[in-house]
Amino acid sequence: MPSPAELLGRLVRFVGEILGASSLRFEIGPTLVVLGVVLVLLQLVARPVSRWVTSDAAGLAGIGRAMALAAESGTDAVVSLGGAGITRTTDSLGRLQTLAALPILGHVARAAARSGIPLRVLTNDPIAGVMAAATVDAAHASTATLERQRRSRIVMVGEGRPTIAGLAMTTRARPAAAFAVGSLREEALLHLDGLRASAGSLATASAEAAQAPSLLLAGGAVLIGPEPFQAAADLRSDVEERTMVLAANRLIGLAIAIILLGSILVLAGIADLADFLTGTGRG
Amino acid sequence: MRRPTLTALVVIVGLLLIADLLVVNSALGQLAGIVVDAAILVAAGAALAGVGALGARRIADLWRRRGDPVAATFVLVGIGVMLVAGLRPGSSGTGDPAVQWLIAALLVPIGASLFGLLFVTTLGAARRSLAMRSREATLLVAAAFVTTILLVPLSGEVGAWLSGVAGWSLAVPIGAVFRGLLIGIGLLTAVYAARTLLGMGAADD
Repeated sequence: MPSPAELLGRLVRFVGEILGASSLRFEIGPTLVVLGVVLVLLQLVARPVSRWVTSDAAGLAGIGRAMALAAESGTDAVVSLGGAGITRTTDSLGRLQTLAALPILGHVARAAARSGIPLRVLTNDPIAGVMAAATVDAAHASTATLERQRRSRIVMVGEGRPTIAGLAMTTRARPAAAFAVGSLREEALLHLDGLRASAGSLATASAEAAQAPSLLLAGGAVLIGPEPFQAAADLRSDVEERTMVLAANRLIGLAIAIILLGSILVLAGIADLADFLTGTGRG
Repeated sequence: MRRPTLTALVVIVGLLLIADLLVVNSALGQLAGIVVDAAILVAAGAALAGVGALGARRIADLWRRRGDPVAATFVLVGIGVMLVAGLRPGSSGTGDPAVQWLIAALLVPIGASLFGLLFVTTLGAARRSLAMRSREATLLVAAAFVTTILLVPLSGEVGAWLSGVAGWSLAVPIGAVFRGLLIGIGLLTAVYAARTLLGMGAADD
């Protein structure tokens, strides 16, 4: 039986052999750049809550009210995960939007579970369906409402982007609130128009830049551009934290205004604001 | 509710794929290949299970007389026809002429007809947005109206001027907004992808 020192020696040799048999895929410069980007990203993602944003653009804070209305009217709520899915033939941006929709689905599912509202999740991808089911189950488990779990359902609408839009346009159910979160492309306006016609309220979120006008025209609360990715980190912020961020935002705004004003005054030759503030201009 | 084992698995797989991107090593490449193949197999299995569940659900709808019987019948007939076309003896699968015909002559035209409604729904949405006095939508409709005027095909000096203004508006103000959106999307996509690869969930998980 080898001693611990021999084991350590073998391990070092093994790692050395692996390193010796390896080479960098890129040159040293690009590799360091990639590692640098990863380090910067790690710095950004280590903070669980977004730093400078306290908006509620998609009305996510008002989900509780929407669920109360649904409870009063005895209807359900609908969450559409968009037309991209995860395993369908689509690009990474579309897939990532589906993944970014899951935390928002979890937020809606927890509110629905607390209010006893059945949730209907529309998807055209089986893996997204499985993940949505797990998200809804987790929401019921975290709110101790497992007895209500069976009332919610995941609807696999079939393959293709037009399919989910067609279902939204032809469904006879009238949910109290509808949420369309995920990749919405050429079918966006049809999809949102269908949901809007039947639902009491509509909230939409998509990072497809070309479809931002469709989301704005559909009405309701909207998250466009990078906001859907931001919303996942913005879902829960304590009141004190939001107040601090709001105060910091105002200070940043004030500082930018002073810099702009000072620049204009200097360019116009009226006064040098920096000299005035630091007292160096008076000799 | 976080499951440490799953999170650890996600982090390990994420780091493995990043390492394989940066380092050329046959063992590492094989390991990454196994992980990717396993993911593809799981996805394929889930796709089959999803289709099976869809069919079973529609059969149950018809059996228990609930939901929309016409829609359920269409779904089952569609699944059946496609299965027969692709799996019958002598069929060449997805490349079979019968399967190709079903897609080219039925699915694609149905989808195209649906997209034909976009003209009507866009006008309806614009009218509704104006009626609701939504600030953003009003600005959007006004910009669309101006752009439509600029794109009117006129000849002569006026037409050239309109065309020049249309090209400038597309390249400068609209291009600036679009590029700004794309830069923001790119940055947060990278951040969100890193969060996903490293198993970092939402703040209220």
